[in-house]
This record gives sequence, C-alpha cells and structure tokens, in this order.
Amino acid sequence: MRFLATSLLAASFALTGAALAQQKPGELTVAMQQFPATLNPHIDSMLAKTIVLHMTQRPLTTYDEKWQAICLLCTELPTIENGKAVPVDLPDGKKGVKVTYTIHPNAKWGDGTPVTTKDVMFTHEVGKNAETGVANMEQFREIVAIEAKDDKTFTVTKDKLKFTYNLLNDFRLIPEHIERANFDPKQAAEYKKRTAYDTQTTNPGLFFGPYKITEIVTSSHVVFEPNPTWFGEPAKFKRVIFKVIENTAAMEANLLSGSVDYIMGELGVTIDQGIAFQKRNPDKYNYDFKPGLVYEHIDLNLDNPLLKDKRVRQALLYAINREQIVQQLFEGKQPVAHTNINPLDWIYDKDVKTYRPDAKKAAELLDAAGFNVMKEGYRHNAAGDRLRFELMTTAGNRSRELVQQVLQSQWKAVGVEIVIKNEPARVFFGETTKERKYTGMALFAWISSPESVPLTQFHSNHIPTKENNWAGQNYTGYKNPEMDKLLEDIEVELDKNKRLALWTKFQAIYAEDIAVLPLFFRAEPFIVPKWLKGIQPTGHQYGTTMWSQNWAAN
Amino acid sequence: MVSVISTETVTRPGQDAALPPPLSPSLLVWRRFKRHKAALVGAGILIFLALLAILAPLIAGWRGQDHEAVDLFNRFQPASAAHPLGTDDLGRDLLLRLIYGGRISLFVGLVTACLTASLGTVIGLISGWYGGRTDAFLMRLCDGWISLPLLPVLIVLAAVDPTKVGLPMAIAKSPDLSLYRIVLIISLVAWTTSARLVRGVTLTLKTRDFVQAAVAQGASTARILFVHILPNALSPILVAATLASGNIILLESTLSFLGLGIQPPVASWGNILTNAQEIIWSQPMQAIYPGILIFATVISLNFVGDGLQDAFDPRTEGR
Amino acid sequence: MTRFLSIRFLQASIVVLVMSFVVYGLIGLMPGDPIDIMLAGDPNMTAADAARLRAVYGLDRSILERYLDWLGGAINGDFGYSRQHHQPVLTIVLPRLLNTLYLMICAFLISVAVAIPAGVYAARHPRSLVDQAINLFCFAGISLPVFFLALLLIILFAVVLGVLPAGGMKTIGESSFGDRLRYLVLPVATLTIANIAQVTRYVRSGMIEVLREDYIRTARAKGANENRVVWRHALRNAMIPTVTIMALECGTLLSGALITETMFSYLGMGKLIFDSILANDFNVALIGLLFACSVTLVLNLIADLLYAALDPRISYR
Repeated sequence: MRFLATSLLAASFALTGAALAQQKPGELTVAMQQFPATLNPHIDSMLAKTIVLHMTQRPLTTYDEKWQAICLLCTELPTIENGKAVPVDLPDGKKGVKVTYTIHPNAKWGDGTPVTTKDVMFTHEVGKNAETGVANMEQFREIVAIEAKDDKTFTVTKDKLKFTYNLLNDFRLIPEHIERANFDPKQAAEYKKRTAYDTQTTNPGLFFGPYKITEIVTSSHVVFEPNPTWFGEPAKFKRVIFKVIENTAAMEANLLSGSVDYIMGELGVTIDQGIAFQKRNPDKYNYDFKPGLVYEHIDLNLDNPLLKDKRVRQALLYAINREQIVQQLFEGKQPVAHTNINPLDWIYDKDVKTYRPDAKKAAELLDAAGFNVMKEGYRHNAAGDRLRFELMTTAGNRSRELVQQVLQSQWKAVGVEIVIKNEPARVFFGETTKERKYTGMALFAWISSPESVPLTQFHSNHIPTKENNWAGQNYTGYKNPEMDKLLEDIEVELDKNKRLALWTKFQAIYAEDIAVLPLFFRAEPFIVPKWLKGIQPTGHQYGTTMWSQNWAAN
Repeated sequence: MVSVISTETVTRPGQDAALPPPLSPSLLVWRRFKRHKAALVGAGILIFLALLAILAPLIAGWRGQDHEAVDLFNRFQPASAAHPLGTDDLGRDLLLRLIYGGRISLFVGLVTACLTASLGTVIGLISGWYGGRTDAFLMRLCDGWISLPLLPVLIVLAAVDPTKVGLPMAIAKSPDLSLYRIVLIISLVAWTTSARLVRGVTLTLKTRDFVQAAVAQGASTARILFVHILPNALSPILVAATLASGNIILLESTLSFLGLGIQPPVASWGNILTNAQEIIWSQPMQAIYPGILIFATVISLNFVGDGLQDAFDPRTEGR
Repeated sequence: MTRFLSIRFLQASIVVLVMSFVVYGLIGLMPGDPIDIMLAGDPNMTAADAARLRAVYGLDRSILERYLDWLGGAINGDFGYSRQHHQPVLTIVLPRLLNTLYLMICAFLISVAVAIPAGVYAARHPRSLVDQAINLFCFAGISLPVFFLALLLIILFAVVLGVLPAGGMKTIGESSFGDRLRYLVLPVATLTIANIAQVTRYVRSGMIEVLREDYIRTARAKGANENRVVWRHALRNAMIPTVTIMALECGTLLSGALITETMFSYLGMGKLIFDSILANDFNVALIGLLFACSVTLVLNLIADLLYAALDPRISYR
C-alpha cells in the first residue's frame, strides 16, 4: 500500500506538465479563497468584496503601487497647493477642510447613465443614515457638509484637517438612478434586503469600471465581461472568471489541472505553498512575492504582572531569532519587522533600535527583572512565580502554527515557558483579542494602507473596555501620554518633513517600549502564468483588481 | 455454496471421537480467537503500536531526541540513520513525532470508542427492553442528538473557560486540554449509533424463548439485560465499536482539518496528516506515513473486531 | 399502524421544535460574532457603530425574544432573510438542498448497489480471496480521511489524467446534463467510497451471523434453494442492523458532506450550514439544520418500519 501510494504520487509529479490545459483565448480564470457576502459597496466589509468590486468600479481616490495617493474617478487630486482644498474654520471652532472633486467627464454607468454628483449625494445620504447598516461609518461621519456644484463637481467639508485630507479611498458610488427606488429614508433598514447589488446582480447600471458582472453564483463564481461605457483604458479579456476555492491544496490542484489560470496573492495560497510551488514549477509561471503592509506581530497583554516590566518584554524580543525564522521558513521573502512601519514606507526610520538575537542580553535582562532561579528548566522569581505565558493565535493557520512552535522552542532556550492555546478565528478575533481576554500573548496581523496612523492601536483612548463597548484596537492596554500626543500630532501635521520627524520619534518609542513584539511583514504569493501580463501587486489593502484593465494575454 | 455448508455444519470425525476436556469460557474465546489469523496479526500490530506509544518517552531518551524541539536548519531532511523517516517541517524527527502522535490518536480512538459504546449500550438496552414511552423518549432524544451540529458545540466548548466550570488548574492549564475536550465531545455525540444498534437487537431478543424463560423464572431486569441479552448483542456492539474507534481516529483528523483538533506542538496522526496537505506536492511522505499508520490501525481494529465476533459466537465451534 | 405513524409524526414535530430552539441557542452561545470581527478588523469603527449595527441586525435583543420572533414568522411560512446574503432564506437554501440531494441520492444508490452484493458475497465465502479483497477495500475506504481521499482523487483524475474537473458545479457557460454529471463524479466517488465500506461491513457481519442461525441450517437441510435461502431468509434478517446504519448514514450525508463539498467547491447543504453557523446567519443555519434533522427523523421512521417488515417478531401497534 505504501508502495502504491508513493508511486501514485510520484507518477502525478512526473505527469503534471502533460495534463496542463491550454488557456482559452480571451478568457482568464482566477482563483480566490473567499466569496463576498454582498456586493453592495457599503454594507458589510470584507476583503473579497473589495477585490470583486474593484473590477467593476473605482473609488474616488486610492494609493497606487508606489504607495502614492492618486485620483481614480476624479480628474485631479485636490491639494492645498492647487487650491482645490481649503482649510476652513468650522462653526464649533475646530479646524476643518473643504475639498473640491471633479468626477471624470466620461464616467458612465454600464447602462449609459452618466456618473454624476447625484450619485455622490445619494451615496452620502445612504451612508450617513444610521439604519442602513453601513459598516464603515467613519468616512461619512467625518464629512460635515457635502455640496454639488454642478453635474460633475462637488465639495466635501471634513471635520478635521488631517494630512490625509484629500483622500476618499472608501467612498464608492452607488447608482442613484437604480438604487433610489430601493432606498426609503424612513425604512432605511429595508435597504439591505432591497439593494440591486443583491437582487439584480447583473444589472449593467451598477457598474462603471472596465468590467461588468454578467453572472454570479453565490459561493461559487463571478463572471465579468468588458463594460463598453468604461472611460479608461479598455479591458483586454472577453471574459474573466473569479472562481472560489476555499481549500488551498485544492486550489493548487486546480491551477495544475488548468481549471484556473492564475492565483491572486490577496486571497490565494499560503506563502510556503507559493515557495514550494515555485520550486517545482520554476519556468511555467511568473512569481511575485510582494511583501506588503500586513504586519504579523504578538500583542502582549500589559495587564499581566510579568509583562508590566519593560525588561521582560525586551528580553523576549532579544531571545528570539526572527531573521532565522524568516530565512528558514519563508526563504527570506517576508522582511523582519522592527516596528509596525514597513521598510518600504517613506516614513520608515532605518536607524530605529533593532533587537538582534542575543541570548546573553535576554538572560541579563531577565535576571535583572528578578527571574534568576532556574527550576525544571524554566526561570522563576524569588516568590516562586514561573516565567510562563500563553501564546494564542487563530487555530488551523499552518504558517502561524509553525512560527508559534519555533518561538516556543527559542524562548524555552532562555527559560521562558510558552503554552500554546489556539482558537477558531471567530472566537479569537471576536472575543479573545477584542475583549482582551488573552492572558499573555496574541499572535496576529494588521493590514493597513501606506502611512496609516496607528491611533487605534496605541492611543490610550482606544483600549477596549466594557464601558466603551469594546471599541478600539489597543489590545495590549498600552498607556503612554507621550505616545498619545505624538499620534494626535502626526494625524494633523501637513508638513512632510515635520511629520517625518514625528514618525521617527514614534518608531523610537515603539522600539523602546515593546508593548508589541514585531515579527515580520507578510508576503503574498502571486502565481501568474507566463502569458498573463499587467498584474501589478501593490502590497497594501487596495489590491491588483483596481488596475484590471491592464490585464492582458500575451 | 457447498463450501459454506461444509465449513459450518460438518464436524470432523477426529473431534467427534473424543470429547475435549471442559475449558473455561475465556479460554474458549481465546482458542477461537487464535484461529482467526488476520485478527491475531491485527492484535499484534495494535499491541506493537500501543507499546511504542507507551514507551515513547523511553524511545526519545534512548535516541537522545526531543519530539518538540525545533531545529530550523534541519527541515525536511531525507531519511538517515539519525532520522529513519527524515524530519518534518520544523526539523523534528518524524518517526518520533509519529510515535508520540500514536499516543494521542490511539488514546482518543480507544478511550472514546469505549465510552461511546458503554453509553450507547446502556441506553439501547433500556430503550429496547422497556419500550413504550421510555423507548419513544430515548429514541427521539437520539434522533435529535444525531442532527445536532457538532461544530458549534465544539466551538462553544472551545471558548468555555475551563477554570470557570470548576476544572482543576492542572487540567485547565495542561496542553492536553484540547485532547480531553475532543474525547468528551465525541463521546457525547457518537453514542447514538450503538444505542440504536443495541436497541434493535434487544427488540428482537426480548421475544425469544430463552429471554421469556428467564422472565418467567423471575430473574431481575438487570440480570436479564446484562446476562441474557447483552452477550447476544455483543457482536454488533463490537463491530460498531471497532469501526467507531477507527472513525474517531479519522474524526480527530477532520477536526484538525477544520482547526478544531489537537493543538500544536502536541502531535497526533490527524494533525500531522492535516498539516501535510498543504505540502503534499513537495513533501508527499509527510502525509503518507501518518496515512499508513491510520490505515494500519483501522485495519487492525477491524480484524480484531472480526476475530472477537467469531470468538464470542459459540456457533463458530468446529471449524 | 395509523396510530403508530401519527404518534411518531407528533413526536418528530416536537423533536424538530426542540431542536430549532437548541440550535438557535447554540449559535447564540458561540462567542464572537461577525460584527465583533468587523469591529476588530476595521480601525475606523467605533463603539457606537457596533451598537448601531447590532440594532440593525436585531442582535441587541435577547436570544429568546429573537427566537420567538423567528418562530412566529416560520409558522406563518416566513423564514426570514439571510443575514449574510441579504436574500430570503429559501432562495438560498433550496438550490443548495437540490444540489445536495443529487449528491446524496447518487452516493446512496451506488453504495447500496455495490455494498449489498459485496457484503453478501463476502459473507458466503468468508476468508476467500474475494472476501479478503473486499475487506481490504473496505478498510482502505474507511481508513482514509475524507479530505485526503478527495485530494488524492483530484490529483489523480484532474491533475495527472486530466479527465475530470478538479472542482466546481459546472463549466461556466455550459448547461448540459453531461457536463453536470462530469462534475458530480469525483464528489460522489469520495462520498461513496467511505459509505460503501461502512455498509459492506455491516451487511457482511450481519450475514455471517444469520447464516449460522438454526433456521437457515434448517432451511438448507430441508433442501431449500440456496439462492432463496440467502437472498430471502438470510439477507432479510441481516439487514436489520444494516438498515439502522444506512438510515443514520443517509441523514448525516445531508449535512455531513462538509469536507467533500469544501474540497470540491461543491455548493451543498453541509458547507452552507457550516458557513452560516460561523457567520451567525441564524435563519439559514436553522432552516438548513431543521431540514437535516427532519430527513434524519423520516429516515429513522422508515428504518423502524423496515424492522417490522423484515422481522415479523417486531410489531408496531
């Protein structure tokens, strides 16, 4: 039996090349791991939806692959310099900003209706209505006034003059001429049941991007065809199919069997699968392991008396060898993180304090913190408390489980005991981290956009408590008035040089206090067939589909 | 067809001539069991695997290896004298991992199957014997129970703080907690199959003459159930239990697949196999070894079940 | 008989009712909730947002209140909306149910068609070469974890041989019956292999048991036709435990094909129920589970009736 199984597998490797199906002309089949629950741009928030939606429409502004802010639906990015953004004093005495946007003159919904400020006003009306069930209210809340100048031009007044004043990255328009009938302000809660995005999913009037949806089967696939009214570079494929395959091993088999052509990095296979796949098929595909703004780290619960001591936290970081983990497990494709700022971000400080693996230093720090009694291979303090932490993460995530076990082993070497306790993602994120129920360490990742201010992760006002209904992402319980001030200042500092200085200071405090153990930035494997051109990974939360008009067969 | 009749009914002359000396029942069972060669081999394999599992720490000590110590520079080493089956994705000796995995998998399989079978048998006996309202209640409970979704139960239990329900710290903080949880949950869920089986047999048996005779003689219900009915229901229970223990070992791997199984660094055959699925293309042996062990265990369990079935059945005599 | 049936029907309705509450409660008891997860994932969401969304989805009320609300609607034929998909529950569930029925019926018929003859043959020729081969196949079928078996089948038939699709429901843009069938082969094979093995084992052990019974010997001694003895007298009795198992298996097929469905991206009930439980989509999960529960109940009832038909000593009054 063993022989049989071995030879079966061996045969399969030998033959995989032969069975590769040829690409169908003009067609592209893409594998993704998750299906969007709804396509309405403002109800629910999930990555899969953003990816699908960006095939068919564009937000007003976004970050490009060089992490620069650009206009997509507007004609020119408003700035204070070009006069399209004007700081204003708000009635309540605060400083706000008034920004003017012009919608692209040729922008038309798929049924020929022009995209106008009517859609903008309508989107705002839907979004700000508390009953609608909009997930991300913040972008509507920060708008204190919105005004249509003409069919294509409108102004937005925001409640605060932040350095991101000209961005409307998540402001995705919904077509007024279709959705007006489904939205009754008096019964806004009914909107989510009536929205055409769920009831008439293939209505061309819902889309104005390079592609429109022509077929959609829940949990299975989405079919796109070119949208003739698209105002940009025309779409190159006659048909693009997004196929949902949840199991990544099955996804790989689908790629090999030719049922899918391309695996997108954002929702594709894991990094180790990508690396192994590249080793076996070095020539058939192009590979892009784009390290991005997904920051894997361990939150330390600072309420834990053992972790209150800064020396213990620093020692924990000295004791582990992240460079080795990255090299051995991920072939160096995921850069080590020294803080939450990615080295590719312009605000990154290359002189920030780094923690090279140093067992001696770790031992000294732990001795100094009072953990100098070795018993049963682990450190104890004079009171007999063992240096012992629970390390939690999402169960079933193989990459994280590997990292976890390596860390456990490395910490054991300096006498720190780690107990691994994993939970299903839903419990882990829905309760354990959010309600700060973890006792020691929580390993997970944040995904962000370029130069995003981690206000909610480090500001003391954002520590989730029962009183504030568990809002905020400061799961460590980190409190530092200096940090609070710094984060508030960064947010409203418009001068780039001054902001850079603030960012440098931020990184210094982060690296000194080590409320969080930074691990590495995740890389996403894009497995692209040789004949497919124009896939441009961005490394941030606004992914490749935003430029799908450039995708072309060679 | 003829062959069946001959093996079943024709007694050989040699045996007929001299009556064998009277044997104790357990010796008889052993004698019959011995004749089932596949069952003997299966039992041998199981004992061997169990011994390995029990002796795992000694083996680890003897080989000077630690089944949980990570060595990043020795990932996926091919087979060698130091590592007879090579190393796994974290540079640990795969053979040792599998031996330790056997501890968990065999424990889960056997203990859970026993718990399940006992619980199911008692419920099935009561249900079949008393009939009427009791039967209706128990069987509807059974039906509802079967359709109860296993996963939310698991997720709910996974989130329960064990110290709050009065578990001692030693267990609550133990890395084996996920193991106890799985045993408990599967036992609670899986008793229905044997309950229905035993009930079916009891229904048939209770109308039989020998049972009616026992009733007429005024034997107590417990005596009738456990002395007269249970032995006759034993063979389906055994078959069900052997199949169940195999299934449970598999269920453990399925739970690992869904991220609800035994947590690392504790090894089980199920989680070794599940972990291997992502690397099946590059490292197929990582999946094949635990696969073979599960396979061998399930086969052995079934053969032993077969053998026991024959051994407990007096009508097998004279083959 | 009518009385028996109506009592059983009443009992079944009570079970379904109780189950609906238990399931509702269980989902409600699960820690975390999609709004919590949204909150954890989106730095811009505030406490007020969370409270607002909870109110929008009615999650701020107690479980019991929501349950009674749902029950009131359900009795009037309104099963509510799917919270995830924002569509009426039946619109989501019915196509999935149909897909699952295809899968289930195919798998069930094939298993029975293969397992009964195989089990009977094995029982009549114990320890013969064929018996050993059947045994080995059964054990192999039982001892491969489903996800692993599915992966092997995909590798063999989709990747190496390239003759069958690796997963999905149909070729996009095609709607012929043959095409649907091609996509059914591997998932059905995955389900049947394990199922055949189970059923064969039970048929075989039941048959061996029965063939040793006195009345079979008597029948044979009387010179009854061997085929008649085996297929009429023996099989009938041997089927009693088997029927139990098959009824159970069939019920679990409805909701339990989760892994097979996941591996083959097949849109069935198992995956739907699993996903809606995880997404707190109460309405969909409930209807899905109640379907599964009802089918199990009906099948068990059939199994009990078959007992009576197979074994005249059991009677229902």
